[in-house]
Amino acid sequence: MNALREMSEASAPRAPALLEVDDLAVHFHVPGSGWKERKRVLRAVDGVSFGVAERETLGIVGESGCGKSTLARALLRLVPATSGHLHYAGRDLLALDAKSLRPLRREMQIIFQDPLAALDPRMTVGQIIGEPLRALRPELPRAERHARVLAMMQRVGLLPNQVNRYAHEFSGGQAQRIGIARALAVEPRLLVCDEPVSSLDVSIKSQVINLLQELKAERALTLVFIAHDLASVRHIAQRVLVLYLGRVVEIASRDAIFARPMHPYTRMLFAAAPIPDPDAARRMRDAPVRGEIPSPFNPPSGCAFRTRCAFAVERCSAERPLLRDLSGGQVACHRAEELLDQARVPV
Amino acid sequence: MPVLEVRNLSVRFATVSGGTVSAVNDISLSVERGEVLGIVGESGSGKSQTWLGVMGLLARNGRAEGSARFDGRELLGLSHGALNELRGARMGMIFQDPMTALNPFLSVGRQMTEVLQRHRGMDRRAAERECIAALEMVHITDAPRRLAMHPHEFSGGMRQRVMIAMTMLTRPDLLICDEPTTFLDVTVQRQILALLDELRQRFNTAIVFITHDLGVIAEIADRVIVMYGGRVMEQADVHTLFADYRHPYTEGLLRSVPRPDVTSHGKLATIAGNPPDLAHLPAGCPFAPRCVYREPRCETQMPELLDVGPAHWRACHHVGALGKLETAA
Repeated sequence: MNALREMSEASAPRAPALLEVDDLAVHFHVPGSGWKERKRVLRAVDGVSFGVAERETLGIVGESGCGKSTLARALLRLVPATSGHLHYAGRDLLALDAKSLRPLRREMQIIFQDPLAALDPRMTVGQIIGEPLRALRPELPRAERHARVLAMMQRVGLLPNQVNRYAHEFSGGQAQRIGIARALAVEPRLLVCDEPVSSLDVSIKSQVINLLQELKAERALTLVFIAHDLASVRHIAQRVLVLYLGRVVEIASRDAIFARPMHPYTRMLFAAAPIPDPDAARRMRDAPVRGEIPSPFNPPSGCAFRTRCAFAVERCSAERPLLRDLSGGQVACHRAEELLDQARVPV
Repeated sequence: MPVLEVRNLSVRFATVSGGTVSAVNDISLSVERGEVLGIVGESGSGKSQTWLGVMGLLARNGRAEGSARFDGRELLGLSHGALNELRGARMGMIFQDPMTALNPFLSVGRQMTEVLQRHRGMDRRAAERECIAALEMVHITDAPRRLAMHPHEFSGGMRQRVMIAMTMLTRPDLLICDEPTTFLDVTVQRQILALLDELRQRFNTAIVFITHDLGVIAEIADRVIVMYGGRVMEQADVHTLFADYRHPYTEGLLRSVPRPDVTSHGKLATIAGNPPDLAHLPAGCPFAPRCVYREPRCETQMPELLDVGPAHWRACHHVGALGKLETAA
């Protein structure tokens, strides 16, 4: 199944994909709990297909345990994929050996949720930001590297005289700026952001989101923006992908998915997001959330969401719904058409 | 009479270098029975230290001064034993990470029954029955079997429910929740908020809900106190605070967060600068260095908390209208 081909048929002509993910799976083998128990398989990412167009921002949302972070790491080959295909700028990433992958590493970078944990405490800020340059652009003379580090620091809002300080001397927001500077120093085309603002203070969050958007425009970046915070995804992403237990349940443009979420899980997730407006919040209060995300070791048969779904019928436990085109997006739900018709009826 | 009345509370910490850090400066507030008081603030706002100070749970180098009367009885200066009695029986506290409060080595049942045996003098069988009822009350299914389980066998959301069930065993008059849903998914958060609201209605428990998340505040709080740099910046009922805020910091918080229910375009409004460094607070208003309405006196003189409407107070020198941030965005 080629998700990208289907998508281009369903929607308006799109820019060529920079990243193309086809039926990607990442399974972990975990030791059993008892002495005679067998190894168990955790299907963290289980047959995921999507494309990211050049200069696009794709948001990925879902609850913890849905496979967001594993997927992020698999995209950059930081964890090995079990099966499937991964193409970056037309090149088959999974077929490359470590040596031929190296030049591509420069083009694909990542920033993490906990900026302080992601920075080496024994290195100065200058060393941290210069490290990927040293590793991936060894031909650059030292002075040139230093100049680039200083320019990068200035661009993300750090002072050049902080170049010899250590990461722990910075606040969370500043540490995330260091993380962004480190990722962008090698001038990547693709930036994967794994919960980049989740651990930041409210007043710092918007600073960092603005910075990411400015840098994206200046440097023609393609962003994969992973977050459980729907509000920042709604602000920054052009398309949104919803994951549930390692599978894609819905992909659609930002405007379509927030105006009319098709999958029952998307609806539940969106309805649960607290709204900073007491009148609206109190209206939403009754939106029920059922149950918790099941163990990924033992996902329900058929549709993994059926155990929490208010619309589940017999078919949902018997047959796994495939991701298919509907209403300009893609959704994996047997009853999507019926639910879509319901949603169109004004309340 | 309010269940808790705090007057001129300050919390200070002695530093290794011999100095002091003021985490909370001269705060007064009260909590009524059955209400949810929301406390909003960021790192360094003093939002947690205020309540650790009230509960007598400060770190060793910390000291609370002023007055905190619980049901008419002064808490500050109370002996360790007397405080323990009160905390167990009539005041409860729930933290961000339930694992900091649950003992990983003991079954949940053992930890829960202990509360009842100690504070309500029950025997073990009766205590167990009560614990099963408490777990069912927080919508944990299969409660009898769960009692034998250890905390690590529960999911994060379930652990927080166990924590709430345990705290509610003694039907406290006051429940302090310090960012109880920050680590949880929005779906689980929604369930925990609904649960707290249910308990409040059922037992008329006063809830203090500390968070940095304005969405959560909008959803659960009746009244709100906005803190910054160890001081109260603004205080109002929840509808007034969101619709008619009068403090530049409140404006900044409300205007800078993207909303899940509205698509925003372009740049977000921001509050420039970083959260305050408590060791180097300015002489005047702690928010002054980041404030777009700053006047010369803001840097030297802390504004008093004065009323700007019925049951609505703010601490700010600025007399004109707000709205600068909106136009900046």
